[in-house]
Amino acid sequence: MAALWRSRGVEQLEFADFYVDSRDVCLRAVLASVVDLGLAEDLVAEAFTRALMSWPKVSQHPAPRAWVVRTALNTRVSWWRKRRNEVPLGVTAYLTAVAEPVIEVDPGLLQVLRQLPRRQREVIAVRVFLDLDTRATADLLGISEGTVKAHLSRAIATLRVQLISHHQAEVLP
Amino acid sequence: MTEYNSESASVLTAVHDGFEPVTMHTPLDTVVAQAGVRRRRRRAMTAVAAAALTVGAVAYGQGSTRSAKLATPSTVAPPVHIVTAAYTVDSQPNGSVTVTWTKQGYFQDPSGLQSALQKAGFPVLVKVGEFCKGPSDDGYLDPSGVGRGVEHVMQASTDSNGQVVFTFDRSALPAGNELFIGYLSPAQLAITHGAPGSVERLVPTDTTLTCTTQAPPSHYGTRG
Repeated sequence: MAALWRSRGVEQLEFADFYVDSRDVCLRAVLASVVDLGLAEDLVAEAFTRALMSWPKVSQHPAPRAWVVRTALNTRVSWWRKRRNEVPLGVTAYLTAVAEPVIEVDPGLLQVLRQLPRRQREVIAVRVFLDLDTRATADLLGISEGTVKAHLSRAIATLRVQLISHHQAEVLP
Repeated sequence: MTEYNSESASVLTAVHDGFEPVTMHTPLDTVVAQAGVRRRRRRAMTAVAAAALTVGAVAYGQGSTRSAKLATPSTVAPPVHIVTAAYTVDSQPNGSVTVTWTKQGYFQDPSGLQSALQKAGFPVLVKVGEFCKGPSDDGYLDPSGVGRGVEHVMQASTDSNGQVVFTFDRSALPAGNELFIGYLSPAQLAITHGAPGSVERLVPTDTTLTCTTQAPPSHYGTRG
């Protein structure tokens, strides 16, 4: 039993380092995919909870951050399928959710991302925030490398136009 | 982002930099606590499943029809279904109690809510503007105002109408304890901005509680 407790303690220390180092990057990647700050925070917290529960496996994963992001995105799909309009929250999440979430990212950028199809947003999120190459992105999202390149190319073309027009709208009176 | 031409790279950099201010607010403690709850729940479910298998095997071996009787808890509160403007209280067949309330109804009838929960078999002490703890409680509250062990007995969700649904699990409450819910008064809420909006603790029923009107500190806008 003592060995088990020592092992659990080491696990939690390792996980704590991983959480502190990775939480913001994972949140940004998921936010870029779901374009909803409150939902992204809930999904990433849920994914990290699952990561801790499976830490021996996740810690050996070649890209643990990618595991968390993939889990968060899969969780979104399963929540949607199982509960449709019901949003699951822990007690803590509800009690802090009384206050309005603080918007920390340019709403214009979120608006531009929202106009992209979901898959294009996911490819952008993975490439930008996890810095995975085409093959790793394809593996993570379960699509072919060619599809990753096509989504990325289209997403960048759309973003270029939208970001320029958004920027001009901000600059012009 | 080294595979891209300069125009593509500048677009991706703009996205990257635009998200730079975004940071995770959920404290590590919350994630660790949630994982702990699920591990315990998983172990409990495994134990229950093993016990059910054992009971089933015994019943099967004896050709008995007693298994339905064995599954019935020895002490069950009578079913309760209460509907008010502020909340609804329903006791569930598994012994848990489901409470639904609107945010508007939050402060309308705390003593009524306490009475309804107790009728449904869930021991609870509800106060407004006053926060109590047992003599051996070290006073710990997480940033949401939740004390130790509360997450075992209380789960929350919101439904599609924005109503808050709480499920109280009587079986997870330690013997000799009840749940304390202390709602912040409107004046206290104005200071905390709703973070926290209430204090939840497990408190002993067989001793005098220490109570204060000092609200917990605000964690509005703080990061974990």
